[in-house]
Amino acid sequence: MAEKELTQRSAWDKVLANLRKRSLWMLHYCTGCGAVELPPTMTSRFDMERFGIMPMVTPRQADILLITGYLSVKTLKRVILIYEQMVAPKYVVGFGSCTINGGMYWNSYTTIKALDRYLPVEMYLAGCMPRPEAIITGFNALIDKIAKGEANSWKDYYENYEFYHKNQQHVFGDIETHHDVTDDGKYFRVVEATR
Amino acid sequence: MSSIVTANDGKDIMPGANAPENREYNMFIGPNHPGIEGNFALKLTVEGDTILKAKTEAGFLHRGFEKLMEERLFIQNIAIVCRICVPDPDPNEENYARAIESIAGIEVPRRAQFIRVLVLELSRIASHLFTFGGHAGTIGLYTMPNWSISDRDRVLDLFEELTGGRVYHIYNMPGGVRRDLPDGFKDRVRKVMDFIEERLAEYDDLFFNNKILLNRAIGIGVLPQDKALEWGATGPDLRAAGFAHDVRKDDPYEIYGELDFEIPTERDSDAYSRLMVRRREIVQSISIVRQVLDKMPEGSVWNKQPNPLKWRVPAGDAYVRTESSKGEYAYYMVSDGGVRPYRVHVRGASVTHGVHILEHLLTGARIEDASQIMFSLDACPPEVDR
Amino acid sequence: MSELTRTPNAGRPLAALGAARHAEAILAAILSETGADGFHVKGARRVEGQVQADSLHSFAAAMKSRVGFEHLSAISCVDWIAQGEFELVYHFWSYRDNCLVSAHVRIDRAIASMDTITDLWMPASFFERDIHEFFGVVFQGNTDLERYILTDWKGPPPMRKDFVSRDFAHEHFHYKDYEPTWDEMIEGGYHGSRGKSGGAE
Repeated sequence: MAEKELTQRSAWDKVLANLRKRSLWMLHYCTGCGAVELPPTMTSRFDMERFGIMPMVTPRQADILLITGYLSVKTLKRVILIYEQMVAPKYVVGFGSCTINGGMYWNSYTTIKALDRYLPVEMYLAGCMPRPEAIITGFNALIDKIAKGEANSWKDYYENYEFYHKNQQHVFGDIETHHDVTDDGKYFRVVEATR
Repeated sequence: MSSIVTANDGKDIMPGANAPENREYNMFIGPNHPGIEGNFALKLTVEGDTILKAKTEAGFLHRGFEKLMEERLFIQNIAIVCRICVPDPDPNEENYARAIESIAGIEVPRRAQFIRVLVLELSRIASHLFTFGGHAGTIGLYTMPNWSISDRDRVLDLFEELTGGRVYHIYNMPGGVRRDLPDGFKDRVRKVMDFIEERLAEYDDLFFNNKILLNRAIGIGVLPQDKALEWGATGPDLRAAGFAHDVRKDDPYEIYGELDFEIPTERDSDAYSRLMVRRREIVQSISIVRQVLDKMPEGSVWNKQPNPLKWRVPAGDAYVRTESSKGEYAYYMVSDGGVRPYRVHVRGASVTHGVHILEHLLTGARIEDASQIMFSLDACPPEVDR
Repeated sequence: MSELTRTPNAGRPLAALGAARHAEAILAAILSETGADGFHVKGARRVEGQVQADSLHSFAAAMKSRVGFEHLSAISCVDWIAQGEFELVYHFWSYRDNCLVSAHVRIDRAIASMDTITDLWMPASFFERDIHEFFGVVFQGNTDLERYILTDWKGPPPMRKDFVSRDFAHEHFHYKDYEPTWDEMIEGGYHGSRGKSGGAE
């Protein structure tokens, strides 16, 4: 009985993944200088919308958080607030080399250097900035990853919240995000719910 | 004794009686907002739908550029300086190169000056097309960004062929430009200019004569003529108020003194006029590009410095100004004779437009016009934050 | 839709000031209206000179109203740490004469105080607030010196020369620690890790 349940759930997961990968909505937030290559990708020459990827203004209905380029500490605070408002499953895509190891602003006193210390990153797109074709290739790779069921980095935030929280506090101190992350983790069945 | 039984402890449940005396509330059009040009925030105090007070909040894009430039060699700065203004990066490279040439007394070959003007005007056309798309998006006309940003891509293709990069070119070097025009490049530029000229007529039909735009943009965000100079407006915002001032004519640099072009102005100084000034500037830029292509002389394109890694610029200072698509863009560079710049102060065009002028124009406006006012002033946040 | 206009002074309030003057005439006007005599012509359309800190406000007022330089282009600040001074440079532009006048003012670095000119030019408030945030100079009489760009910043004013951005970044931010192996295919060995993995964890 248990095996049958597992197989049925996994078939449904496959169907869900195929539906989900065709309707990813990207949060319309231009966090850094790489955002100037997003309008060409969204408009008629490169047309991201044929893959189902559309810009969305509210984080509550967005799936992809695209960190376009560097993040200054002031923006990182807002990005954490936005990230916790997004509903799982959510995918953070690091756009450009600044998210990988600081990029061009490696010696700047206000930009963060390694994005995956503060947020779990699903995919990086290399470039400064990536071309629209590279963005679309990256999104296609993300779509394949979702279809295979491997795009699960969002669960890492709930499982390792102390790590992320400590790094965030180290950079900008304590903030109130109005979200109980552990509670959310229990809701999404990532963290064990205590009896 | 009241015969009406209320469910609220006898208190009147209709609004009005219990409404607070002060009907103002704070509204944040925060950094995550499609109606903001870039990463910028507006803190508004509104009553109903009218804005009483506006305060801008910047700093989300701050990278400490002026400090970064002091810690790198002169030749290394060329790679990062174009990222200060994101939609219109070429005036940055131009200013940086010209400041060093002014301090060190370096001559630029004539052909390189023509190529610099070509690059600057192409960048102006691309930036204005981008602004049209953004402005149209704030009032819901989404066909316009789809057209203008795709047409802008043809200009970016030209840049890619010439410099290797679509948006950030790293092409202007102190002493000239990095490489010469490829074969057949001039014909391709002419074709793109003809194409954009035809498209302007189609934009008139789609956007500039669109009833929705005329209803929404005329009379919005009026910058009073007597205040325009006082509040420090420059560029298209000043020209929409009737003043024919342009750094290319007033303080000519490169070969602008030899070219024949006009400065379009408007009288009404509202959002629609600013849009029309930009549309007319594209026509003038196309004319400038054609003149440059016709008159370009032969010759070398780079007066190369002998040892760029150990290059010392003699002590001195210079204040160079350029007309970017947003207004007066200036650099103040100080050198103390070392291998690194001692101080580079970037005066972006939006430090007046995007901060105080925007705050003044938003006072008394309605919430639905706030984004449109910001886009019509073309306030670019990376220039404010650096 | 209005016509393309070419007249430079169409509708401007200061049209009565007259024709453009050459640089020498501007120097004479500066001397006679403000009393500052250290100004000289630096190049085409560029005039510069030194002004004393306590007479800067009256100099600026005279430049605006009597000499006809109505546009304040920028206020820059340079940190001459070796001499213990800040140098504030005020750039004035005249639309009538098409000339830039740069007034250099030196103030003491430890005291770091200067009079404001926001009562003359509203745009000056942005530059003064910027200089206050990044260098620590206090402008007397400017009521809006709140932090604008560096609102969460807790360190020293970052544009001062004794603040080194690279050391600060290495100390406060964590870089990624990685050991690339692609170089072994190309060159045959890479020693150690390039990125600092960042101090206290």
